[in-house]
Amino acid sequence: MRPLFVFLLTSLLSPLGWAVDSDPLNSPQWEFVHQRFLKGESYQFDGKVKVEAPADAEDSLNVPISFQVDDLENIQEVVVVADLNPIPQVLRFRPKAMRPHLGFRMKLQQGSPIHVAAKTADGLWHVGGVWVNAAGGGCTLPSVGTASGDWTKTLGKVSANVWQRPDGSSRLRVRVMHPMDTGLASGIPTFHIENLNVLGEDGQLLAELDLFEPISENPMLSFDVHQQKQFKLEGRDNNGNKIQAEVVQ
Amino acid sequence: MKSGDLFRKVLLASAISFALTSAPLMAAVTDQDIANDATTPNDVVSYGLGLQGQRFSPLDKLNTDTVKNLIPAFVLSYGDEKQRGQEAQPLVHNGKIFVTASYSRVFTVDAKTGEELWQYDHRLPDGILPCCDVVNRGGALYDNLFIFSTLDAQLVALDQDTGKVVWKEKMEDYKAGYSNTAAPIVVNGKVITGVSGGEFGIVGKVEARDAKTGKLIWMRPTVEGHMGTLDGKDNGITGETNKSWPGDLWKTGGAATWLGGTYDAETNTLFFGTGNPAPWNSHLRPGDNLYSSSVLAINPDDGKIKWSYQWTPHDGWDFDGVNEFVSFDLKQADGKVIKAGGHADRNGFFYVLDRTNGQLISANPFVNKITWAKGIDLKTGRPEYDDANRPGAPSAAEKGQSVFSAPSFLGGKNWMPMAYNPNTDLFYVPSNEWGMDIWNEPISYKKGAAYLGAGFTIKPLNEDYIGALRAMDPKTGKVVWEAKNKAPLWGGVLTTAGNLVFTGTPEGYLKAFDAKTGQELWKFQTGSGVVGCPITWEQDGEQFVAVPSGWGGAVPLWGGEVAKSVKHLNQGGSLWVFKLPKTPS
Repeated sequence: MRPLFVFLLTSLLSPLGWAVDSDPLNSPQWEFVHQRFLKGESYQFDGKVKVEAPADAEDSLNVPISFQVDDLENIQEVVVVADLNPIPQVLRFRPKAMRPHLGFRMKLQQGSPIHVAAKTADGLWHVGGVWVNAAGGGCTLPSVGTASGDWTKTLGKVSANVWQRPDGSSRLRVRVMHPMDTGLASGIPTFHIENLNVLGEDGQLLAELDLFEPISENPMLSFDVHQQKQFKLEGRDNNGNKIQAEVVQ
Repeated sequence: MKSGDLFRKVLLASAISFALTSAPLMAAVTDQDIANDATTPNDVVSYGLGLQGQRFSPLDKLNTDTVKNLIPAFVLSYGDEKQRGQEAQPLVHNGKIFVTASYSRVFTVDAKTGEELWQYDHRLPDGILPCCDVVNRGGALYDNLFIFSTLDAQLVALDQDTGKVVWKEKMEDYKAGYSNTAAPIVVNGKVITGVSGGEFGIVGKVEARDAKTGKLIWMRPTVEGHMGTLDGKDNGITGETNKSWPGDLWKTGGAATWLGGTYDAETNTLFFGTGNPAPWNSHLRPGDNLYSSSVLAINPDDGKIKWSYQWTPHDGWDFDGVNEFVSFDLKQADGKVIKAGGHADRNGFFYVLDRTNGQLISANPFVNKITWAKGIDLKTGRPEYDDANRPGAPSAAEKGQSVFSAPSFLGGKNWMPMAYNPNTDLFYVPSNEWGMDIWNEPISYKKGAAYLGAGFTIKPLNEDYIGALRAMDPKTGKVVWEAKNKAPLWGGVLTTAGNLVFTGTPEGYLKAFDAKTGQELWKFQTGSGVVGCPITWEQDGEQFVAVPSGWGGAVPLWGGEVAKSVKHLNQGGSLWVFKLPKTPS
């Protein structure tokens, strides 16, 4: 996986240092996204919100996205929206005691701007983004687990790994088994993880995540944490099924 | 930012603060609301229109004179490819109608407009094992919650305003054959539930949980030998191990509480019926097989059994005993009133018990043909069996001798709840006339596999009808009137102070009858079979009636020759709502 991320860095679209009023991605949906998901609050487009994604999605069911917000202080919440998806909101991330970095995979129904908005303590949203082209259809297909019927055997199972980064901090990657059905495939009800919290081994809350339908089946999430090596995960899906796991080395 | 945006933001903020101060106060359903449900016609907050289960409404705007003016107000389609049987009873509260549907779905609509407010589709595994169609019979309201059970044996509490899951508890392992289709009831803050799965060798039980959190408070198994619990500690074995069950068969003894129960506040007692003992082949389990095919009177505070009465001891016909036990005042000729309960069993007898102690007062047939027993002995409270009509024991390889038995195992009356009208002093029983060839076969228990040890074919007894809505006088045990129906009746009954009785038919009609004479006064074609439970309430000075429509249930799956005769009936899935306009057009 690591070489893929390195490759993606080279396709970085966001130029550094811009802070402008109009959407650099020219999204026809931007004002709707602003009203609906940022509640119409003040914002600026800001190159400090770095978003990485492939220019063309090879697999519309698994589009790797990652963001980093390193040059802004006190990030309260980060919202990811795929403007042209039938269900635009992808996730909300509230880092409490970890870096505002996140890697994940999502479903794209068609080529779309991916906006990432990070709210600082002064209430201002800083918005970055990239455009990803996609052949489409990612949101209206049944998940593999649902189509095969296997999802009941693995529902809510968590696998995880922790790596040491060059600066001594850790990267945590988790995968939670879940069909993440969007409700847009005929006859298959909406079924997705709603929230997932990352805690330290002492129970300290490190980050809160709200996940929505566009997150890929069996969500894979990468976090840049501080020095911790052991974690707890707690979450729930929209049917009330609980997710609970401990990550130990 | 433009000034227009700022203005909009301020408006939005004031709207939110208004919603926060007013809405939650109105929405909360209290224990008092549930206790008073039978006498507060502006809402329906419990299964049975009051926990006694009388299904009687004091409303009388709609009556034998005005029912001709009853017209449709709106209809909600459940949509989807999933149809099948719609057996639910809707609930009405705080301007919303709540109704469950097949495949563990919930719909909530605006009670004024019929517009859907939210829908919850429970995610079901492929391997669920419901015996008798993918139905759901309704939910319970408590606080801001709508609580219902699912086909994969989970109990789910949804927010009444949003449909979001507030809590969810697993009741049992669906892979072992457990499921759940009954409406829960809430008694003094506890949500009380049973379990389904009697055809798979499960062990029946009644459970009480904190209705606000789902936390288990007590559990009472319904088969003797199994330990009950209270607050996580042992709370005494049910009955006495091996007293009425041989060997190890009690460990897979059935007695599923699959239809839920009723509650009587006057005696502070839950009444839960129990299903057939497993397997069906009775020769494998000599003895009474307590507490199968019985009613259990349970203390809601601690789950202890107060008394029990067994409708069919040593059941060999799948007569079950789950049908509702409805508390009522039995008025004697000398003016004395007995705290009684009425029950129309699958086995064809209508029983009246003293609900304070379980003593049998009377037992009379409510169907025309009963072969398995000559009667019920009022002194001993036990059936006088006709041994020639018990299906024979199978040998190691061969099936046993087949007998023709009436009623069939689908019962003189099945799950569909009857109604009691305190003005006419009559019970209105949705009954069916059918018999079956039944024989026993060798069987052994295997987890998650059908555990019957019997074969059967259901047959009609009459050319022209199977169903008959019957008015039973609990004082005399006599049928006062009947309204025949060609197809078997499979829907619940409602009766009102307007001297009306409502019930549905598989042919698609919701019908209204004169409660005293049985004369049919009104009918409406809903487009699919009506096997749901009608309700009525008053809203803005007008009386409303609602019923789900959608043919299905056990008959098309298990009905043998009868199933063939109802094959032409089309499935559906909708909620029909009718009203009596203030000024008839």
